[in-house]
Amino acid sequence: MRNRAILAACLLTVMVTACGSAEQPEVIEQIVVRERGAAPLAAAVSEGGDDLVALGEDAFQMCTGCHVIETGAPSSAGPNLHGVVGRVVGGLEDFPYSDALTASEAVWDDASLDQYLADPGGYLPGTDMLAGAVRDEETRAAIIAYLAANSVPSE
Amino acid sequence: MNDMSPEDKKPSKLAKWSRRGFIGAGVLAGGGLLIGIGVRPGNPIGSLASKVAPNAGEQLVNSWVKIDMNNVVTAIVPHCEMGQGAHSVLAQMLADELDAAWDQVQVMQAPADGSYVVSDTARLFAAPFTLNAADWLEPTWDGLFTQLGKSMDLLITGGSSSIRTTGQYQMRIAGAAARQMLVGAAADAWGVPAAEITTRDSTLTHEASGNSAPYSEFASAAADQSMDHTPKLKTRDQYRLMGRSKARTDIPAKINGTAEFGIDAEPDGLELSYAAVVRPPVPSTTVTAMDASRAETMPGVLQILNMGNFVTVVADSYWQAQQAVNTVQIEWSASDSPVRTMDDQFAVFAAALDEAGETGGNQAAARGDAQAALADAASNVEAEYRAPYLAHAPMEPLNCTAHVADGKCDIWTSTQVPLMARSEVAGTIGMGTEDITIHHPYLGGAFGRRLGSEYVAMAARVAQATGYPIKMIWSREEDTQKALYRCADMSRIRAGLDESGAMVAYDSVFTQRHDPAEACVPAIYNIANTSVRVAEAELHLPFQAWRSVDHSQQGFFIESFIDEAAHAAGADSLDYRLAMLQNAPRHKAVLEKVAEISGWREAGGEGTAKGVAIVESFGTIVAEVIEVDMSSGKPKMTNCWAVCDAGYVMNPDGFRNQIEGGIVFGLTAAMYGELELKDGAIVQSNFHDYKMLRMNEVPNIEVALINSGDVPVGGAGEPGLPPAAPALANAIFAASGNRLRELPIAKQFT
Repeated sequence: MRNRAILAACLLTVMVTACGSAEQPEVIEQIVVRERGAAPLAAAVSEGGDDLVALGEDAFQMCTGCHVIETGAPSSAGPNLHGVVGRVVGGLEDFPYSDALTASEAVWDDASLDQYLADPGGYLPGTDMLAGAVRDEETRAAIIAYLAANSVPSE
Repeated sequence: MNDMSPEDKKPSKLAKWSRRGFIGAGVLAGGGLLIGIGVRPGNPIGSLASKVAPNAGEQLVNSWVKIDMNNVVTAIVPHCEMGQGAHSVLAQMLADELDAAWDQVQVMQAPADGSYVVSDTARLFAAPFTLNAADWLEPTWDGLFTQLGKSMDLLITGGSSSIRTTGQYQMRIAGAAARQMLVGAAADAWGVPAAEITTRDSTLTHEASGNSAPYSEFASAAADQSMDHTPKLKTRDQYRLMGRSKARTDIPAKINGTAEFGIDAEPDGLELSYAAVVRPPVPSTTVTAMDASRAETMPGVLQILNMGNFVTVVADSYWQAQQAVNTVQIEWSASDSPVRTMDDQFAVFAAALDEAGETGGNQAAARGDAQAALADAASNVEAEYRAPYLAHAPMEPLNCTAHVADGKCDIWTSTQVPLMARSEVAGTIGMGTEDITIHHPYLGGAFGRRLGSEYVAMAARVAQATGYPIKMIWSREEDTQKALYRCADMSRIRAGLDESGAMVAYDSVFTQRHDPAEACVPAIYNIANTSVRVAEAELHLPFQAWRSVDHSQQGFFIESFIDEAAHAAGADSLDYRLAMLQNAPRHKAVLEKVAEISGWREAGGEGTAKGVAIVESFGTIVAEVIEVDMSSGKPKMTNCWAVCDAGYVMNPDGFRNQIEGGIVFGLTAAMYGELELKDGAIVQSNFHDYKMLRMNEVPNIEVALINSGDVPVGGAGEPGLPPAAPALANAIFAASGNRLRELPIAKQFT
């Protein structure tokens, strides 16, 4: 009899949990930026518009599928790009670069990054970076400015 | 569930469960659970008719069969299609008993309505012991089942149950009953004896009088015929569709791209906005501060919401929503979990096992006196095993489209449990279930993940807050790192062997027991003294059933241990198992067959060795032999042979697909599957670091089937998985002498 009671209790716990009627918290904060169908806010267009680094941060969002940019954070599918400007190509320890990048002894700078981002496979044949080419020159410049801003050694 | 007629409110007879009892008893069993529907007074056919037969002129013969004016038979199946092919096989079973023309059979998923609950699935989930279990394993489940029936919504696709429950106990009976009613109606109209009427290809024929008519002609009249609740089913020699590898009916739409999955939902007349989410990296923590200033300026953004236990951005497109939510700075509350790393989690398990010691914990199963027999045994074997947390990682990302307006809620989502999802939404947004409609198209994989419904409730909350329809899509990273998981566990097993090496005592203790309840018991083996104990310990990550559930870790623990005992006894590991299966002829036959097809007793290539494991799960016995090549120092799987006895296989091709899928899923987990913790959060995030087995790493797989006879039909979706990991680990031991007691394997060979 003892066994039965234990089994029953165990299963019921599972099932009741699965039903999950737990109380959900209330909505804590609801920021309505604009109503549907309304024109974008002016601020959304102009704010930070002349700040290349801020533009670059926005543009960099397209890279975040593969790259993080944070001091000491583990790399994801692509290497952590914090500090990439001034770093030896393929120079991040513990990241499994392609042979192409590992073999290169160049140092990333604005010019090389610009060429690489424009056409990764063309600039460094054999790279694993098969996606993410940035065709637009101004966007590239912004991204590189953002990368550079995140490459300043911190104390 | 609430529209039962008073005459149905009679006590159920669960103690004497009859395979056809539910149809005879009508619509009630299990204390408030409405199951199946027959055409009879008092059932809710009227309210359902508009959902399943919306067109004028269509006639519902019974709840599972629809015959339209073009003679097309529609099978209304209560299970979701998540790649397992069940829709198609259920239609095969129905059409066979109905003698319907196969090319005029369509499959339609039952609407998410309480009247379509899958009663036998409920019973299998709740009381797996009751089918073919030895007396010493048979608890009395009636009380539990009654309670579950009251508290649960059961429209479940899981537990490898579609064919063996809905197919066997509902589709076939429904098809046979419908056929009898059609025959009866034709006999009345033609004035001939029903026994002289033959049926084939959706056509009724009376040869002597020369009468012949398509089913559609008598579809209306058939509904007035009395329904036989125990219609005569075909015997195997009469099957025309069952047991054949008919092509799956869902394949064409999936090939040509017209199949609709949950994520494809674009409901007519609704202008959708899109939501992306961020949930807490550490379970059970909440948002303490949110800075969305950057997101507020980003293109397409409509709203940013702090929902307490997650943050979401609603935008004109999913991409914009995801980009914006990535920029929201969130602070989370501190977690009170003591677990920050997997070492901590295993320390929690070890502490529970230490406390239980050699006799403590909750006794899950017991036979004989294991402790005394261990003490008296000539020798003892003991080992400790570990299994990691695993993600389900379904290919289709989690998604849910929700619209809450005018007191109604509509949900479009991929779910294995539409009615549970409905209940969860009801409880979350404070609405009655009758005002909530769950639309549930195909699932792009689930593996148990979509048995949970918390994501559905999240979308409903946001749709309620915005007031307009939203499609919420979880990034792969969110689903990998902040979802529900196959639990980690640790098991300590001891055995006592007599002078000949035979196992006379077995004792195991572990910390996690979910279901099936018998998964932790080595019941197939004839061991005189067996003790199975659970020493419960807290999990850091929330649990959700994962393909084969407890069998996924217990199969590894038990079958690895049996292998260790065989080695200690100096016996061949397959022969050692055979010797313990003298009371289990079906299992013995499966093991002998796998020995034969794998060439177990012949020498393999240089550097190779074979390992074996046998597990019965979800009603199907599966033995697997895996061959590895260790000549490079790392395991390379070369061959896998599997032999399955499911009693009877309804669609051999579909069954093999499922077993192969289970094997690859199991080997993927065995080789690579692992979630690590750092500061209490999951490290792995996507398929680059939560790796899947690649095609070039998958061994050749050969699957042989045994139709052993008159036993309940077993499942297919899960049973291929549990033997895979132990067979692989046992092969590696045979090749290298390296006994692997924890998973995953690949990282132990770098």
